[in-house]
Amino acid sequence: MFGMIKLENVTKTYNKTVRAVDDISFSVGGGEIVGFIGPNGSGKTTTMKLITGIIKADVGKITVNGFNVRREPLKAKESIGYIADNPDIFLRLKGTEFLDLMGDIYHVPADKRRERIRTLAERFELTEALPTAMMSYSHGMRQKIMVIAALMHNPPVWILDEPMVGLDPKSAFELKQMMREHAQAGNAVFFSTHVLEVAEKLCDKVIIIKKGHLLFDGKLEELETQGKNSSLEEIFLELTEK
Amino acid sequence: MSIYLKLVKALLASVEPTAEEKKRAKIFTGVMAVIAVFGIMLPMAFFVGVIIYWLTDRLIPTGAGQNAAELFLQLLSVFSFIFGLNVIFSVFYFSGDIENLLPLPLRPFQIIASKFTAALISESIMEFILIIAVFAGYILAAGLPFYTWIIALFAMLTLPIVPLAYCAIICMLVMLLTGFIKNKDTVNKITGFLTFAVIIGLIIIVSTSGGLDAEHLITALSDPHNLLLAVLNSIFPHVHLITSAMVNNTAVNLLFYLGVNVLAVSAFLLIAELIYLPTAAGLSRSASAKGKTLQKSLSSLRQRRPCVTYLKKEFRILFRTPAYFMNCVLINLIWPLFLYLIYVLQGKTNFMEPFINDIHNGHEEAVLIFVLGVSAVSVLVTAANCIASSAITREGKHIAFMKYIPLSYIAQLNVKALVSILISGTGMILYVAAAAIYLGLGIKLTLFCCVISLLSVVFATYFGIFMDSVNPKLVWDNELNALRGNYNIFFNMAAAILLEAITCAGAYLAFKFTPIGSLFIMVVLLIFLMVLTAVSYLLCSSKAVKNLDRLIG
Repeated sequence: MFGMIKLENVTKTYNKTVRAVDDISFSVGGGEIVGFIGPNGSGKTTTMKLITGIIKADVGKITVNGFNVRREPLKAKESIGYIADNPDIFLRLKGTEFLDLMGDIYHVPADKRRERIRTLAERFELTEALPTAMMSYSHGMRQKIMVIAALMHNPPVWILDEPMVGLDPKSAFELKQMMREHAQAGNAVFFSTHVLEVAEKLCDKVIIIKKGHLLFDGKLEELETQGKNSSLEEIFLELTEK
Repeated sequence: MSIYLKLVKALLASVEPTAEEKKRAKIFTGVMAVIAVFGIMLPMAFFVGVIIYWLTDRLIPTGAGQNAAELFLQLLSVFSFIFGLNVIFSVFYFSGDIENLLPLPLRPFQIIASKFTAALISESIMEFILIIAVFAGYILAAGLPFYTWIIALFAMLTLPIVPLAYCAIICMLVMLLTGFIKNKDTVNKITGFLTFAVIIGLIIIVSTSGGLDAEHLITALSDPHNLLLAVLNSIFPHVHLITSAMVNNTAVNLLFYLGVNVLAVSAFLLIAELIYLPTAAGLSRSASAKGKTLQKSLSSLRQRRPCVTYLKKEFRILFRTPAYFMNCVLINLIWPLFLYLIYVLQGKTNFMEPFINDIHNGHEEAVLIFVLGVSAVSVLVTAANCIASSAITREGKHIAFMKYIPLSYIAQLNVKALVSILISGTGMILYVAAAAIYLGLGIKLTLFCCVISLLSVVFATYFGIFMDSVNPKLVWDNELNALRGNYNIFFNMAAAILLEAITCAGAYLAFKFTPIGSLFIMVVLLIFLMVLTAVSYLLCSSKAVKNLDRLIG
């Protein structure tokens, strides 16, 4: 399967001492939803930042949608819809102004932008709030607008860092639904989560990471076979507490 | 006591740079700290010390030897009070740590005492240096014994307590008795207006009293019934007590000084214990805004080039964030008022008059000084408004945004530079053109001055962005903290001033001590500024981009 996201022997060390990501390789293919799970500080966010080009790998190669993140960073970035782990950004802007900014940066035509914002705002019940300053939004509303901003240009690769945090049940359901629809259209969805039930129900594949090392990369069924039909939670705990 | 000390340590640590920033800053901070200390702090302290020495020396025969030091310390207290209001409001009511501190099993006075101490330490470093400079000038001129230095050191650390304690009391009472301060934006607007009003007030007082030349000042200070000093001494009695303790060698004054400090601190801690918790609960950090309907907002959406919309975003954030608006935008309107204040301060001994007449008469040296001044002020204003030197810092914890969007770093830095050039450059060109026309410089020279000004602004802008990229302060609690206590801005100003001082001094000395004519020097200045601008742009497009690339978002 064509790897929409591909990491080959990637290593990242902070301050020359802390090896946050240690020689990891994996790929996420088109049409796949891949859950990225691991304990706090295991290297999930660092890996996502490496893929999005926020930080550079010391060693290894990363490609997104066929573009090398280091050599063709702008093309790689255009292929990504990224939701960061903190949605408190540009709070002095109104919701529509922020989305307009993102629309221009990702070259979304005005009519398509209007339609996309309207549709997504309705799905996330954000219609009334969008024309007001984001300063007045709750955490969940800020998270929703980050989701809309990341998905507005309909990128082939979604990279979502803890996307469900702060979302109400309906919005979380909508987002999961959208992730499924996006994958079904042949795109790649790569997301981190601490909620194992979400991974269990949504993912085609899971990648488990601990202290920068990959512990598991494969289908849930394989993991369950390996764990003698224990629950994902039990397998996860067994793997990460070794 | 140990809880108090631990809290102070924690609060001070929260505004310290991160390990990553410390690592990045190691050499840079060292070099820049030397420039800042030896280029700005010590010269300013020396200048203040010399003025106090000279005035005290002249005042001793009149029996009012302590008045110069007293007046300066009183004025420091006034400014400490005005600027302290914003700091105390922010720290007591609108800092991010409040949500974490309020649920802890701490007495209100413990929270407030630690917040007050952390604010005092972090905000008063320059004040400490100026206070010791005043005392040094005073002790040396009055020939006071050695032990007075010990009192001076003690006073240096304690003098800012009373003005800040006043701020603390006023701030808590305002929060209790009025309902109009609900967010940090209102505080910024009020304190900004207050600062503006004080500057205008000072200009009016000085211009109506015929200026403040040296003789006038000595006469006023030797008057035993000096009204200004009497009023200030009744507001800040601790200043008179400490200076009297030094000159009259009385332990009683020192005890009274300690008493005033203890009283002020006890009063605000008592008030804090009674009213802090109910006033601190339920506040937001910024105002919310009402908006249009989505339909209306969407209908106005147009597709633009990414850089254009990025520029709009930068302007919106600068103008809508009160802390940025006051410190980065409004300052461009305030500095001409300061210049006017300096002009009227000279009173009868106005040394500007002959200079202005010389320019009117086309005197070569005066015109050259004016052109050099245009360049110097343009660089200084661009560095002082810190639009460029805080361009990356203002992104704060969201620096990652700059890195994950598909817009090249240099394009983003150029947009940030354009914001600084548009705001600083427009203001400067207007002021320079107005001054040049008033001085009758003629169209060619006026245009030349505008070009010099614009080049200086562009140079200072790219240089400022480069300086900020070396070690941006990305961890800050609120927008004001991104600018306040940001040594990058200070270092950038120090470096820009130093470079401009060398340029201007070199040009002037070349005119004065060589047969080279002013026209040739002005052309060389123009070429030199072009080179500086090109170098600063290259620094920005190569080094700043690399610096940005290695930042951890």
